[in-house]
Amino acid sequence: MTGDPEPLVHGTLMAGFAQACINLNIVAGPGAAELLADLDVERWYPLRRWFALEQMIGATYQHIDPIRLKLGIEMMSLWYHRGPGHDIIRRGADFLHFQTGSTGIISVIRGPRELVGSFDLREFDAAAGRAVIHSTTPFHRKIESGVLIGGLLAPGDLDYVDVHNDGDPDLLVVEFH
Amino acid sequence: MPRLEDVLKQGDAARVHELPREGLERLFWKYQGLRKQVERDTAFWQATNETLKTAYERLDEQERELARAYQTIRQDLEIAQQVQHALLPKQFPDMLAQLDLAVHHKQLTEVGGDYYDFFRTRDGHYAIGMFDISGHGVSAALIMAFLKAQFMQTMEQAARPKEIVEWVNQASLGFLREVRRYSTVNFVVFGERAIRYVCGGGYGVLVRGGEIYTFSKGDPFIGLRRRPYTEFELSFDADDLLAMYTDGLVEAKNADGEDYSSRRLNSLIREHAREPVDDILRRCVDDYHEFRRADTDEITLIILRRRVG
Repeated sequence: MTGDPEPLVHGTLMAGFAQACINLNIVAGPGAAELLADLDVERWYPLRRWFALEQMIGATYQHIDPIRLKLGIEMMSLWYHRGPGHDIIRRGADFLHFQTGSTGIISVIRGPRELVGSFDLREFDAAAGRAVIHSTTPFHRKIESGVLIGGLLAPGDLDYVDVHNDGDPDLLVVEFH
Repeated sequence: MPRLEDVLKQGDAARVHELPREGLERLFWKYQGLRKQVERDTAFWQATNETLKTAYERLDEQERELARAYQTIRQDLEIAQQVQHALLPKQFPDMLAQLDLAVHHKQLTEVGGDYYDFFRTRDGHYAIGMFDISGHGVSAALIMAFLKAQFMQTMEQAARPKEIVEWVNQASLGFLREVRRYSTVNFVVFGERAIRYVCGGGYGVLVRGGEIYTFSKGDPFIGLRRRPYTEFELSFDADDLLAMYTDGLVEAKNADGEDYSSRRLNSLIREHAREPVDDILRRCVDDYHEFRRADTDEITLIILRRRVG
């Protein structure tokens, strides 16, 4: 009998997260070098390595949520300004479609559906500046909120972006103007 | 009607009321966006600052622990220093009746590995031993205490320097090998009109009638191997001068990296050999201090002269 194959995360996501940690001085000194050591952006890594990275940060900080949020924002800022993001999306709101599509968050994690989860755009109202995303991915929702804020703000056409939960931790309610 | 970007760029607050409704709405969201950004940044900095605060508190506590540990070590070292000082020889009054004696002895830290001692052999002759134990600090001081005990015990068994040193070497070899330590040995027994010595490391020089005689040293250090030692004899009559010293003195370097050297020290001793031993010693120490850039080893220098009559 074999168990479910372990989910994998792509090296670009790992490297983006690690680089964001370094940019924000969340990890400094020899720890920073270790964080990036042997990370190959062409490779897939076991999901537990992602969790180990997250845990390392979590173990250092008492109040980790504001840091997770900021890390998500920084990751997407890097993706847009130093990565391919600029060529992929033109307007902030486009990011919502991109991130919830087949090339978005789901493209950097693979494995059994029940473990990998989903990231679906449930509502999108450009005129009202509101969207609702339902997420069941294994990533922390605060990091995902940060990713959405960072991705929406990166092109620079939006003046206001916020993400909240509306009571359901798996619902990410996005406000953008 | 002006564009929001232009009004903001010009920084003219009076023109805000000229903005169209859409511009005012955007201004509202820009403000809200900035407020959110400040809110997120503040939360982020607070979270990192709290961690920094905790880290500083931990650091403070560790510093206090370190200070307490350092204090304990200091106290232990002071006690070790007192013990080592107490282990150094008390001069025999009747030895001073025969010899004028001056000693300069300086450990590199609180305690160290240079050791000298005065003994009385089984047949009643005075003897001086000078030793430089490998390493520095407390470990060397412990070896010194061990060697002192060995020599004290051996004095009751033997009289000739060769016998004494061989006996101590034999008795210490196992222990010193186990703790990976050794010691130079320069051991002199004073006879009626001569000295007999064994020299395994260290330096000895005798000045007699303006001539200088340096100790032959080819014997092994104590604690290295079991081997017979060679004993030498030199005349040592009234007014003759003897100096013994360790390598810390002559291997000290000046700013150009040159050794102080036994040649320089020996010629200084010979040049002033007619002066009182305290004056010769002071000259040597002053000359060394002027020469060397820094003390890098323990130094011991003993100068003695046989009294007339």
